[in-house]
Amino acid sequence: MSAGETPRDRALVPAADAPLPARATLSDDVLAAEHERLNALWSDGSGFWAWLTTVDHKSIAKRYIVTAFLMFLAGGLEAGAMRLQLSHPQAGLLGPDRYNQIFTTHGTTMMFLFAVPMMTAMGLYFVPLLVGARNVAFPRLNAFGYWCYLVGVVFLYVSLPLNMGPDAGWFAYVPLSGPEFSPGHRVDVWAQLVTFTEIAGLVAAVNIIATTFKLRAPGMSLNRLPVFVWTELVVSFMIVFALPAVALGSTFMLGMDRTVSTQFFNPAEGGDALLWQHIFWFFGHPEVYIIFLPGMGMITEIVEAFARRKVFGYTAIVLANITTGFFAFGLWVHHMFATPIPELGQSLFTAASMVIAIPTGVQIFCWIATLWAGRPRFTTALLFVMGFFFTFINGGVTGVMLASVAFDKQVHDTFFVVAHLHYVLLGGAVTPLFGAFYFWFPKVTGRMLSERLGKWHFWLFIIGVNVTFFPMHLLGLNGMPRRVYTYLRETGWGPLNAIASAGAVIIVAAVAVFLVNVFISYRRGEIAGNNPWNSYGLEWVTASPPPNYTFMYPVVVRSRHPLWETSVELPVLTGLSTERREVLVTTTMDARPDHRHNAPTASIWPLALAICMAVLWIGSIFSPYMVLWGLLISAPVLIMWSRQSMNIKSTELVQPPAGPIVEMVQA
Amino acid sequence: MSALPTVVFGSRSLMWWGTLGFMTIEGWSIALLLVTYFYLRQNFVDYPPLRTPLPSLLIPTINLVILLASFIPARMVQRAAVRLDTRAVKLWLLPFSLLSLSALVLRWWELWALNVRWDTNAYGSAAWVLVGFHASLLLLDVGDTIGLTTFFWTRPLPPKALPDASDNSFYWYFTVGIWIPIYLILYVGPRIF
Amino acid sequence: MRTSLFLALQSVQHSATSPASPEARAIAHLFWWLLAVGATIWLLVTAIAIWSAFARRGTPGEDGLMHVSAATHSGMERVVIAATAVTAVILMGFLVFDFSVGRALAAFPAQSLTVDVTGHQWWWEVNYEDPNPSLSVKTANEIHVPVGEPVQFKLASHDVIHSFWVPNMNGKRDLIPGYRSSIWFRADTPGVYRGQCAEFCGLQHAHMAFLVVAQTRPEFTKWLLQQRTGGAVPTDSLAVAGQQVFLSGTCALCHTIAGTPAHGTVGPDLTHLASRRELAAGTAPNTRGYLGGWIVNPQSMKPGTLMPANPLQPGQLQALVAYLETLK
Repeated sequence: MSAGETPRDRALVPAADAPLPARATLSDDVLAAEHERLNALWSDGSGFWAWLTTVDHKSIAKRYIVTAFLMFLAGGLEAGAMRLQLSHPQAGLLGPDRYNQIFTTHGTTMMFLFAVPMMTAMGLYFVPLLVGARNVAFPRLNAFGYWCYLVGVVFLYVSLPLNMGPDAGWFAYVPLSGPEFSPGHRVDVWAQLVTFTEIAGLVAAVNIIATTFKLRAPGMSLNRLPVFVWTELVVSFMIVFALPAVALGSTFMLGMDRTVSTQFFNPAEGGDALLWQHIFWFFGHPEVYIIFLPGMGMITEIVEAFARRKVFGYTAIVLANITTGFFAFGLWVHHMFATPIPELGQSLFTAASMVIAIPTGVQIFCWIATLWAGRPRFTTALLFVMGFFFTFINGGVTGVMLASVAFDKQVHDTFFVVAHLHYVLLGGAVTPLFGAFYFWFPKVTGRMLSERLGKWHFWLFIIGVNVTFFPMHLLGLNGMPRRVYTYLRETGWGPLNAIASAGAVIIVAAVAVFLVNVFISYRRGEIAGNNPWNSYGLEWVTASPPPNYTFMYPVVVRSRHPLWETSVELPVLTGLSTERREVLVTTTMDARPDHRHNAPTASIWPLALAICMAVLWIGSIFSPYMVLWGLLISAPVLIMWSRQSMNIKSTELVQPPAGPIVEMVQA
Repeated sequence: MSALPTVVFGSRSLMWWGTLGFMTIEGWSIALLLVTYFYLRQNFVDYPPLRTPLPSLLIPTINLVILLASFIPARMVQRAAVRLDTRAVKLWLLPFSLLSLSALVLRWWELWALNVRWDTNAYGSAAWVLVGFHASLLLLDVGDTIGLTTFFWTRPLPPKALPDASDNSFYWYFTVGIWIPIYLILYVGPRIF
Repeated sequence: MRTSLFLALQSVQHSATSPASPEARAIAHLFWWLLAVGATIWLLVTAIAIWSAFARRGTPGEDGLMHVSAATHSGMERVVIAATAVTAVILMGFLVFDFSVGRALAAFPAQSLTVDVTGHQWWWEVNYEDPNPSLSVKTANEIHVPVGEPVQFKLASHDVIHSFWVPNMNGKRDLIPGYRSSIWFRADTPGVYRGQCAEFCGLQHAHMAFLVVAQTRPEFTKWLLQQRTGGAVPTDSLAVAGQQVFLSGTCALCHTIAGTPAHGTVGPDLTHLASRRELAAGTAPNTRGYLGGWIVNPQSMKPGTLMPANPLQPGQLQALVAYLETLK
């Protein structure tokens, strides 16, 4: 037993097969009164000030999701501009300077401002719901993370119209991105915004790890954790180890080479151009798995719910996700096969890049088995899962092809790679994400999305993605390199480019249908109720949308599918305070109740600190002394933040009288 | 469930996990910077390069002693916090703050003790960023410690202040511990390899 | 005539699937196998997934969920394990195949010829070195090689990272400042092959192409001997005037013409400009019209190029172009 634990603690949660002590079912009057008290207690207020100071993970995650989706649209507009320019030879719509800014912004927006924030935001909303927690572990840190992310967004999208948009690619290879060949502040904008988004990502990761380990519902041992939560956990660990590399590289090495003349990448003074590539891709490769693994988790959730059965091979799937997370760190040199790195070293990365297909394959086989052994209901969400199979597997196959050094040396840095990356990202992340939107929109908003519009959305999207990106495989094989603002008619690349550009129009239509669906359904969609899909997870216990406090009582979990176990009554624990905000902290492995934690209330200090960080990092582009000013204004904000957390009113170490341990509540 | 406590220490507490998370991020960042330092070495015949003097040992070693010495009050604070002895925590926080602040101040001279500027060559850049990055960790932690000391001495405290003091010591062990390999590699290493 | 040659490039598919060397052929062979197996897997697994969704093998239990019998469940386990094993075996096969192709490509044979290629923003400096310095050849953007003989390319960069890629001949190799790298191939079919820079290098990355002209040995030798001569001495009065325009203007600051006082090294060597098929690294065919347009306003054809505009009187321009056309 760990320190502070009593024998009584161990007895609090029954194993799956132990009989529950007989207790009374709580009456509706009691529940209604509890709801009033808790909802008021957990409310962060209303109005503009509340919006600035809220620490409710649901509010913060919703704005994260909305902002990230706006970034998806912005990145899409940039892609549209690129496709228009490339639709025929020497189109003349965009000159090279503008085009370089647009393709850089497209990549930067999609990778840094849409994909990772969206996936962590889905985690920040749904992980607490799926594990039965009222909030994330560090609510104010969560708010701080969002504000930092927003600073990054604003910084990029103010710079672009001011002709200060970064133009050296989302990967910013040196020496092109260094002080000599990219004078001015464009690449500095890139370097600092990367750091902001990395801070947001790291903060979200720490939050998700702590929430998953310590705030689970009693009885939710690790082998009862939903697969989506597993993927968010794995991804959070990956973020902890991958994101520091790009934050260090972009701000401390490249940024400093550009502003204070460090020599990291200057060969004349012992610096090294390949150092940048190693550091960037050490981050960059895990980055794409950070984007793609939560999509895998979403697919498992959707498949389980709509195949109407437990997923086949839960353990295999969990291990596959963990293995993929590890292996992802051993692939990065496959982005550098054309560089003079020794052949033997490159071969190791070929092997690793092929081996990683195996755990992914295992997951795919398990999902197919689940569908086969179930009776699938073809809702839009499940349609998107089917679309995933078609699109992602194509990308996976071209990925294995690219893993081969000899072949890669032909198609590296050509449109073949553009095709591959879009197939895996659109097929492996965006398609499952759309599916998850259809699955979980009812929970977040209380209304169902239209299935009819959903089917239009699905078909337009799948067709659009394939028409746009399939021809690009051929373009790459036929010699068309990436990142070119135009091409000569004599190259013969015109017709395939025209087809690709036409496909882009179809994708736009698909997304437009989705937006219409969201706007209409938000107001007039069918009312969802708690569990419209009759699914099994804890998120379906709460109302739709969940009240401020999410869970009135911590649910006692006795299996991996709590709501499929009983559809009438749920065992819960009572005793959390209704006078102050409390969450139940449980033990790491077995989720036995451990202690009650006082959760924070609304605070302006996360926003204030994010603004100070903005001054510091953005100002440092213009003058190194801004770092000092930034620190000076941050110090009082940090002090105020600490003061607020120290000002907690309650002083009790005294235990109130023990009440009934387990109550039964209408599910 | 209302029988459960509200104040816990160590890995039972959320704050501990948050602290561990940030330690992992920062420790890993330093590992990456050390790898960078060694990667750049292959571009030089000698490291530090010819005509770049070796880093001096005097001030860095004094600072290392101060940092190691600060372990003692830090440990005392942690033990006092766990046994809920607010008075002892208050007292030990004073030498803790003093020693850690001295280390931070001396850090300025430690940078110049590298005997190379950050813009002279890639070696200088790598060394400065390593020491500078760790300096930012020092700054944050010293700020945290002094803040905590001020709180303990100036206001009535909620029970959660004691786990906070314990976690602050935990973080300090990391900050000092991670410096030891940096000190050895940067200041001592060139004299051996 | 030049324009039609330019258009004739279309007849040669500069594609990795149209190999003109044993090296490219080996890679194409690997590609076709990867494609065949890969496409089969893609379509097969997708089809099975769709079929499975309609198979509806589960039967509802008391809990409302779908179940299969224990025997079926074990059967499913065996199938999944088998599928995973088959995946692993296929990947192993690919790995071995890739290694063998890679080893073959990595082994540099004794070459008959070494060409130094230096990447610039946004053109290719090409040097045929010779132990006797007066026999070395400097040119730009067009590389001639003898058919049937392995040629090694030593690659370096003058500024940022570029990448040397001729799809018909071999994979690509990056030119990285501070590093030396090399690549080789052996053209086995005479023809004109297109290459293009394949690493984003700034504003005119899109217009940094080059040509590889594979010729029979006698033709190659003839070309090399011609390239070794100094710049043609103009006899025609217009060309003489043009040479004066060249030497008295700013051209000589950046360009070299052997045998004249012009020794600039910022831009391409122009000694044998007229022998080249294209201008400005594949941006336009080498014709009188394009050449004149390029000289007067390079920014209109290649915005961002480092060559400044040269406002010349029409008469001067005519003379200059006439002179440059003599530089075969």
